[in-house]
Amino acid sequence: MNDFINTYGFLIISLVLQAILALSMYLPLMAGQLSLATPGFYAIGGYVAAILSVRTFLPASGTTFPEPLQSFVLWLGTVFPATPQGQAFPVSLLLVEMLIAGVLCGLLAIIVGLPALRLRGIYLALATIAFVEIVRVVSLNLPITGGSIGIFGIPQPYPTKFEFAWIAVPFLVIVALFVYRLERVRVGRALVSLREDELAAAAMGINPTYHKVLAFTLGAVIAGACGALSAHFINTWNARQGTFDASILILAYVIIGGSRTWLGPIVGAFLLTALPEVLRGAADVQGIPTFLAQFLKDGRLIIFGLLIAFSTLFFPQGLITPNLFKRRGGSEGER
Amino acid sequence: MSDTNGLLRIGSLTRAFGGLVAVNNVSFAVNEGEIFGLIGPNGAGKTTLFNLVTGLTPPTSGELYFKGRNITGSRPHQIAKLGMGRTFQNIRLFPNLTALENVMVAQHIHTRSGVLSGVLGLPRDRREEREAREKAQGLLEMVNLADRAQVQARNFPYGDQRRLEIARALALQPKLLLLDEPAAGMNPNEKAGLSTFIREVKEKFSLTVLLIEHHVPTVMGLCDRIAVLNFGQLIALGNPAEVQSNPAVIEAYLGDES
Repeated sequence: MNDFINTYGFLIISLVLQAILALSMYLPLMAGQLSLATPGFYAIGGYVAAILSVRTFLPASGTTFPEPLQSFVLWLGTVFPATPQGQAFPVSLLLVEMLIAGVLCGLLAIIVGLPALRLRGIYLALATIAFVEIVRVVSLNLPITGGSIGIFGIPQPYPTKFEFAWIAVPFLVIVALFVYRLERVRVGRALVSLREDELAAAAMGINPTYHKVLAFTLGAVIAGACGALSAHFINTWNARQGTFDASILILAYVIIGGSRTWLGPIVGAFLLTALPEVLRGAADVQGIPTFLAQFLKDGRLIIFGLLIAFSTLFFPQGLITPNLFKRRGGSEGER
Repeated sequence: MSDTNGLLRIGSLTRAFGGLVAVNNVSFAVNEGEIFGLIGPNGAGKTTLFNLVTGLTPPTSGELYFKGRNITGSRPHQIAKLGMGRTFQNIRLFPNLTALENVMVAQHIHTRSGVLSGVLGLPRDRREEREAREKAQGLLEMVNLADRAQVQARNFPYGDQRRLEIARALALQPKLLLLDEPAAGMNPNEKAGLSTFIREVKEKFSLTVLLIEHHVPTVMGLCDRIAVLNFGQLIALGNPAEVQSNPAVIEAYLGDES
C-alpha cells in the first residue's frame, strides 16, 4: 500500500485537481457559454498563493512603497509569516489563501465577464483565450510574480504529496455536490434553459446577462481556489501554469466525459489525466515491439487527439449522459 | 398619445430590416379581457409585430405601452416579468429538458430561491421547489400531458409540443398571452378543440389573448376583434363580421379583381 501511494500519490492528487478544474469549466458550459478562461483564473489563484506564502510581496531591502501600501504590505507580512526551514506551512493559512484567491478571481470574473459574455459561441471562446494569454504575458513580466522564472520553493503544508488529499478530496466533493445540487434547483434550471434556447428563456423572464455572468463567476471562484491549492502542491508556480494548452486539455475532459451532467467532467478528467500513466505502463509490458513501446511513451498527444476525434464521432454527448442515470435509476422521485 | 386605456397599446410602431419595412406605422390597442386576432397573408409582419411587443426585436420607431407603462426598448425578460407570456411560431421549447422542467423554468420570476440557499436545500427552498413542481404538474394536467411529465420535450409530437408551449407560457402567470399560430400543424379535430381550450384558459386565468392565426374559421369563431396586416400596414380593424366584409381585406387575401 505504501509503495502504491509513493508511486501514484502525486498522480492521484493531480486527478482530483484536474477534476475540479473540469467542473469549473463545466459551469459556464451549463449556461451554454463556451468559456476557456478557467486556466487564467487557475494561474491567478496560484500566483495569489505563491505570492502570499513565499512573501514576494515584500519590498526588496532598502526600497519602500508609498505610505498606505507600505503599511498594508507590512501587515500582510505579519499575517503570512515566513515559514521556518523544515517546518510545515499551516493548513489554515492555505485555506485562507484559497479563499482570497477564490474571491479575487470571482471579482475579476464579474469585471471580465460583463463585456465578454456579450459575445456568443466561438467569439466568446476567442475572447477567453485572449484573457488566458493576457494573464500569462502579464505574469511573465511582473516582478511580483517572479517574471520568467516564476516563484519557487513554495512552502509545503504536508511532508508527502499524497497528504494533499486532506484538502483536495473534500474540495472536489464540495464542488461536485454543489454542481450536482445546482442542476436540480431553480437557478440551475435557469442556466440550462439558456443553453437550450436563450431567446425562449428570456421570453420566460430569465435575465440572460445575469445568469451567464453568474455561471462564469462561479467557475472562476472554483478555478482560483484550485490554483491556490495547486501552487503548494506543485511547489513552483510560473507562467507555464494555466496556459492555452490547459484550456484545450480541460475542454477535452468536459467534452469526452460529457458536458450535460456533473459526473461527465469528473470522469473525463480522471480518464485523460491517468491516460499517460496507463500508456507508460503499457509500454513497459514485456515483449511488445520497440516501435510500439516508443509510440505509447512519446505519442501521448497523438493518442489524445485521436481520442478526442473518435469520442466526438462515437460519443457526441460524451461518455456520461443524463439518460444513463435515468435508465439505471428507474424511479424519478428526486428530479 | 394617451396611455390609459387598453392593456396593450401599440403606437405608430415601425420596424425596418434594411430596406424592408416589416411593420409600418401600426397602431392599435388590445383591451383587457378580449381575444384579439392578428391576421394577414404570409410575410405581412405578424410575427415581427409579436417580437416587437415581447422585446425580442427593438422597434425602429414608435411606442409600446403595457398596463399603462412604457415598455419601448425594455428587454424581453423585463417585459415577461410584467406579465406577458408567449408561444413561438416555430416552437421554441427547451428540447433536452423534461416537460415538467420546461414548465418549471417559466416559474422563475415567481420563485426566489438563490444559488447558495437552493444548493443547500434550506427548508424554505425545498418548499418552494415542491410547490413549483406541483404547480407545473397541474398545468401539464390541464394540457393533458401530465402522464409524460418526465419525457424530454424534443420527444413530443408536434401538437403536444404546441400545448406544452402554452402550459409553459401560462406558468409565467401572464396578464396577456400571445399565441403565434397555435393551430399550425393540428388536424381539424384538434383545431376545433383548440378554440374551446383557449376560451377555457382565458376564463380560468382571466387572461387577455392576442393571437396570430391563419385558419380563418378558427379566428372568426374565436376572436372578439381582429386586426389585419398586409405588407406591414394595418389595413383593417374591427369585429369578425366587419373585417370579413372589408374590401381591403378581401383584396389582400384574394387579389385584385381586374
